[in-house]
Amino acid sequence: MKKTNRIFTVLIFIFLYIPMAVLVLASFNTGKDITDFEGFTFQRYVELFQDEHLLKLLGNSLLISILASAIATVFGTVAAVGIHGLKPKMRKTVMTLTNIPMTNPDIVTGVSLSLLFVFVGTKMLGQRDSLTFWTLLIAHITFNLPYVILNVMPKLNQMDVSLTDAAMDLGCTPVPAFFRVTLHEILPGIVTGAIMAFTMSLDDFVISYFVSGLDFVTLPVEIYSYTKKPIQPRVYAMFTLLFALIFVLMLTMNLLQLRSDKNKTERRGKTITKGQRYFRRLAALVCLLALLAGTGYLAFGTRQEIITLNIYNWGQYIADGSDGSMEIVKAFEEKYPHIKVNYSTYDSNEIMYSKLSNGGITVDLIIPSDYMIARMIQEDMLLPLDFDNIPNYQYIDESFKNTAYDPENKYSVPYTWGTVGILYNTKYVDEADVTGWELLWNEKYAGKILMFGNSRDAFGIAQYLLGYDVNTTDRAELDACAEKLKEQKPVLQQYVMDEIFATMENEEAWIAPYYAGDCLVMMENNENLAFYLPEEQGFNLFIDAMCIPSCAQEKEAAELFINFLCDPEISAANMDWVGYATPISEAKQYLDPETVSDPVAYPGDETLVNGTNFTYLPEDISRYMESLFMEVRND
Amino acid sequence: MSKELIRLRDLTMEFDGERILDGINLYFNDHEFLTLLGPSGCGKTTTLRIIGGFLKPTSGTVTFDGKVINDVPPYKRQINTVFQRYALFPHLDVYDNIAFGLKVAKLSKDEIDRRVNEMLEIVSLKGYENRRIDNLSGGQQQRVAIARALVNRPKVLLLDEPLAALDLRLRKDMQNELKRIQQAMGITFIYVTHDQEEALSMSDTVVVMDKGRIQQIGRPEDIYNEPKNAFVADFIGESNILDGVMLADYKVRFFGRTFECVDSGFAPNEPVDVVIRPEDIDIVPPSEGHLVGTVTSVTFKGLNYDIIVEFKGFKWLIQTTDFHAAGSTIGIRLNPEDIHIMHKSDYSGMFGDYSSYSAEYDELTEDAGDEEE
Repeated sequence: MKKTNRIFTVLIFIFLYIPMAVLVLASFNTGKDITDFEGFTFQRYVELFQDEHLLKLLGNSLLISILASAIATVFGTVAAVGIHGLKPKMRKTVMTLTNIPMTNPDIVTGVSLSLLFVFVGTKMLGQRDSLTFWTLLIAHITFNLPYVILNVMPKLNQMDVSLTDAAMDLGCTPVPAFFRVTLHEILPGIVTGAIMAFTMSLDDFVISYFVSGLDFVTLPVEIYSYTKKPIQPRVYAMFTLLFALIFVLMLTMNLLQLRSDKNKTERRGKTITKGQRYFRRLAALVCLLALLAGTGYLAFGTRQEIITLNIYNWGQYIADGSDGSMEIVKAFEEKYPHIKVNYSTYDSNEIMYSKLSNGGITVDLIIPSDYMIARMIQEDMLLPLDFDNIPNYQYIDESFKNTAYDPENKYSVPYTWGTVGILYNTKYVDEADVTGWELLWNEKYAGKILMFGNSRDAFGIAQYLLGYDVNTTDRAELDACAEKLKEQKPVLQQYVMDEIFATMENEEAWIAPYYAGDCLVMMENNENLAFYLPEEQGFNLFIDAMCIPSCAQEKEAAELFINFLCDPEISAANMDWVGYATPISEAKQYLDPETVSDPVAYPGDETLVNGTNFTYLPEDISRYMESLFMEVRND
Repeated sequence: MSKELIRLRDLTMEFDGERILDGINLYFNDHEFLTLLGPSGCGKTTTLRIIGGFLKPTSGTVTFDGKVINDVPPYKRQINTVFQRYALFPHLDVYDNIAFGLKVAKLSKDEIDRRVNEMLEIVSLKGYENRRIDNLSGGQQQRVAIARALVNRPKVLLLDEPLAALDLRLRKDMQNELKRIQQAMGITFIYVTHDQEEALSMSDTVVVMDKGRIQQIGRPEDIYNEPKNAFVADFIGESNILDGVMLADYKVRFFGRTFECVDSGFAPNEPVDVVIRPEDIDIVPPSEGHLVGTVTSVTFKGLNYDIIVEFKGFKWLIQTTDFHAAGSTIGIRLNPEDIHIMHKSDYSGMFGDYSSYSAEYDELTEDAGDEEE
């Protein structure tokens, strides 16, 4: 029995710690990702400490966690003492009420807080940026409070009530009695509560996501928006350090507790041991630093003599100085010192759209995709651009003007573009079979074929194959596409999005449709991979373009930024890092000639003619398509 | 004795509509050792907490040195308390526990040191200054609690069942110790207990309480020898309580016989409760007895045997040093001074019958458990 118990204990530990071990391993790996271990390196850590952007995010997260947990600890403790003083029946009711927010789904808490902040900020205080650092802080304090109360309450219940009586009996008024006696008794509960609150704050995504403005973003919120590129290994290094920090923190606390228990029996008069005292000083120092950093940030953040330009873009969708690239935002700020860029990110068009339509934030520049631009134009969410401020618009190639989504070229300036084609492995796939989209239905390769995990791209392929318009609103045509997609299911390995990188590079799958830019990345990592564009059947030509949303406050600065990005040299430097194609031919001279001449990255005009843009589908049609796709996937 | 220090006037206390104290009138003299004695729930701890300032009475007044102190908080009263489970501060050592009140009062370091050492001497804890509270025995913790209270030189020390958590031997030692300390310090002790023996052996005055009312106040001997009603007679020691009729002064009739007694002042033919202490009964051969009965059970108690004897369907407890086997027939004699007569009260008929011997003798109210509130 004892033996089985021991085995189970070991198993549980393995179960709990294996994921962390893999992360730590990944952070020291020279290989590109977890599937390929090559060697040992500290390079990820070096990169991490050179990455100002990541460090700033980490700082933000630590700042908000420390501030929020410290404030919540004070308030929560006071509240717990208050609740404890209530009559038992009332106490029970109040405890239930304080526990509810904890069990409430984060998403509900997040949305309701966001609504409240926007309502109070915009409607009652008349601010235009109602979602700020402060709302984030308030939200974190709000969801931290129950954890502190929950941890302090049992300690209060355990405490001999006559201890407080005794203190008062010996001459203490109620407040000193609390500090001299009660506080010592409930301290373990307070510390656990504070640590719990801190960790809850540190890894909160859902609530932070809804209540943070664009001026102050925490690490989890940003990491979630990293969908344009796979997560960089330096992020593993950061997570490893975070884990180590928490681990060491818990370990020291336990050790100190042990030691102080021992010391207390031996030492005279000093009720605080040396270790405890150092620990307290350290804790006080950390809190002080956090407060200083907080005030410093606010003092800095509220400086108003310079214009703040709020840019809202996909994660990892602008060259940020890493890997020897140009740091575009910094270069812009250097050129226009009176403008300070505030950069934040989203991970899908839909999320950007809902964030903007919820209100409460100020955004001056966004980079949505074609169909979303069409929708936003239709809903009056974009401002017409003043092209006098964007002289570099002249460099944009004609093939990217007069598009389906912005036929009059009034609202958008193309940022990148790309095609959707088929990536296949030449080692396994017979070139003779590469004739068109039907390759994705080829039974010969059953089990080795991947398909898009999103409805629009998946239906697009079926539409090209069946010869329908990709922007059709005919339900019968959509039904036919769904049938076609169902036919494909037996040969499919799985529906994917980002997972495609690993699966194709490892040759676990041989055929998959994907975006050309990403295909190039995969082809670089596995030379057996090739890209094919079914020109005759047609293919999706997607464009992400820069637009100014109607909530913009600094339209002119935004136009300056658009102009800056349209500078051929800048565009080249930017796209070199981003990996997508530039719509500016003039830029090609600054790019690697090999890339420019690659037909995958830059298909010729004669090819591009066959590409079509997605445009916005009416709400009911896109919903219908979504439900059909769900049906197909669950079939 | 000496002058009056504290007086409780018409004190009542209610919690959630339940009456805990019902018209308490009581005074405490300076230098007195007074004990509030009663079963749990009788209101003794509530009374103590009102004196300490931890509770406010629903009505009535508390005066201290002639001034009403109902609204004076505990930290402003010249009263200190020794709590039931000591309530020592676990995060402080012995020295700092004792010094707590002095530090709050911001006395000089030398003064604190002097007084703490003096107290350590009094409670015989020299050398224990740096001990943690958890490393002390129950008796030592008890002493720390007393020292912590007395070091502030209060005029009154309240002790709430201070010995309840100690084992029997230690309890006896501490009783003597407490009495010695009280005499050495010369201050008033107000002591709460449910242990009648403790109350009788230590106190100058005993106040017997039940159901929120004072049942009797008096010197320990008087309480024992002259209980006022069946409750007191039963709660203080063991008593056989019988229905009787006071025929005239010094003449009481019960069990169909007329006995001589030493009580007087009752109305002619007044129904009364007759108390006969188990240890006062003389056992004689059946032929010589006033009453003749059969032994139904015998319990060896060390000093004596407790025997239950049935007289005409009524069971008595008799304490005797001689063994009488169950089933044997014995006679008893009652001397006039062994018979105590009480007026009838609400408690008449509730106590004093040993038919359900074991349950009764296990001292039905005597659990050291929690007091009211």
